[in-house]
Amino acid sequence: MSFNYGQGYPVGVNQPPGAPYGAGRGSYGPPPSAPYGGAGGQPGGPYGGYGVPGHGGQYGPGPGGAPGGPYGAYGGQPYGGPNANYGPAGNIPPGVNPEAYQWFQTVDTDRSGFINLKELKQALVNSNWSSFNDETCLMMINMFDKTRSGQMDLFGFSALWDFMQRWRAMFQQYDRDRSGCISGMELQQALAQMGYNLSPQFSETLVQRFTMRGARPGIQLDRFIHVCTQLQSMTQVFRERDTSMTGNIRLSYEDFLSGAVTRLM
Amino acid sequence: MAYHSPYRAPPHINAPPDQGFLWNIFQRVDKDRSGVISDTELQQALSNGTWTPFNPVTVRSIISMFDRENKGGVNFNEFAGVWKYITDWQNIFRNYDRDNSGFIDKQELKQALTGFGYRLSDQFYGTLIEKFDRQRKGQVAFDDFIQCCIVLQRLTDVFRRYDTDQDGWIQVSYEQYLSMVFNIV
Repeated sequence: MSFNYGQGYPVGVNQPPGAPYGAGRGSYGPPPSAPYGGAGGQPGGPYGGYGVPGHGGQYGPGPGGAPGGPYGAYGGQPYGGPNANYGPAGNIPPGVNPEAYQWFQTVDTDRSGFINLKELKQALVNSNWSSFNDETCLMMINMFDKTRSGQMDLFGFSALWDFMQRWRAMFQQYDRDRSGCISGMELQQALAQMGYNLSPQFSETLVQRFTMRGARPGIQLDRFIHVCTQLQSMTQVFRERDTSMTGNIRLSYEDFLSGAVTRLM
Repeated sequence: MAYHSPYRAPPHINAPPDQGFLWNIFQRVDKDRSGVISDTELQQALSNGTWTPFNPVTVRSIISMFDRENKGGVNFNEFAGVWKYITDWQNIFRNYDRDNSGFIDKQELKQALTGFGYRLSDQFYGTLIEKFDRQRKGQVAFDDFIQCCIVLQRLTDVFRRYDTDQDGWIQVSYEQYLSMVFNIV
């Protein structure tokens, strides 16, 4: 008997869904492949099934549907979808999304050629116009900063742009009452559709934990991205240890610390 | 086993500074005169001794420890706790940063954490340095050192709650595990 983490648990799929970020594999976390075109009804597979080969067909190779890989995956390959007709205009390096390129020029206020935490924080806002929290910005910089310099170059930024677009679409899809924030129940639905097998209490507690002070219970876009990305990463850590797939693991103190320290944040 | 007497809070090294002294500092840090010191205000006031901005995540961790009403900052009374917390850490850090470089290396980190009661492998100290060394020097600065200790302590606390027989091993389900790492148990 094996524990059901979520629908479509890919037993036998070689590649884990979504390589973890920051684990020194040079891979940016997987993009949140929203069920594009799936009208929200499509279960996203195990733990979200991000970037799992074999699920690719489900999403199609359309814009945003491709699993996010390392930078290399972008290069040489024209950015699909509607943006393709921009063409390789001006001095935009190949593999960089033209819109991301323009945005980069605006965000890079000190013209250093890199985006640091402060610049990123100023550039990203939630739907209530609050700026993104530090944890989410740092997490994203860590994900897209290939050089580990604490800042992103144009290529990393372009990958982040793509990542953000997908999360934003996903957020809007699950924010069913259009309140600009995701409630416990909405998060529960979102996670279930991403394929996570988690109790409603779990979502409720997550939302309570991350609700802004003085606000009604709910999480903004920044926290949503943070929570979902961490969830994906920590699920991966659990899976690596749950070799017999029973849904239970035995864990030593140091192994627990090391899993959390290396993959969280 | 691994974590018998883990570090809980910095030892009380300093005598409490007098109120007038603290009030002076508080007023200088509270730039917008709101009566509450925010993350940004505290970050601007703190130095990690290396001319780089103080780790914003450390600032957030410290503020949330003392901010009782969840107002996103600390008032004067709470600031006294923050001040003491930071100066205590400073003293500890200086103890291990023998050459006053502003950084401690893997060996020094190991000495410090061993002193707090942690028993961890050399490999794990390597992991810690890799994770908390924001400046990519192979060593950790003061602000990152604090954050490292805070994270370790939180994780240890949550592990302990599950390790009821104290043998250094736990058995957890998927959801329990996630709750642990998200610190929502």
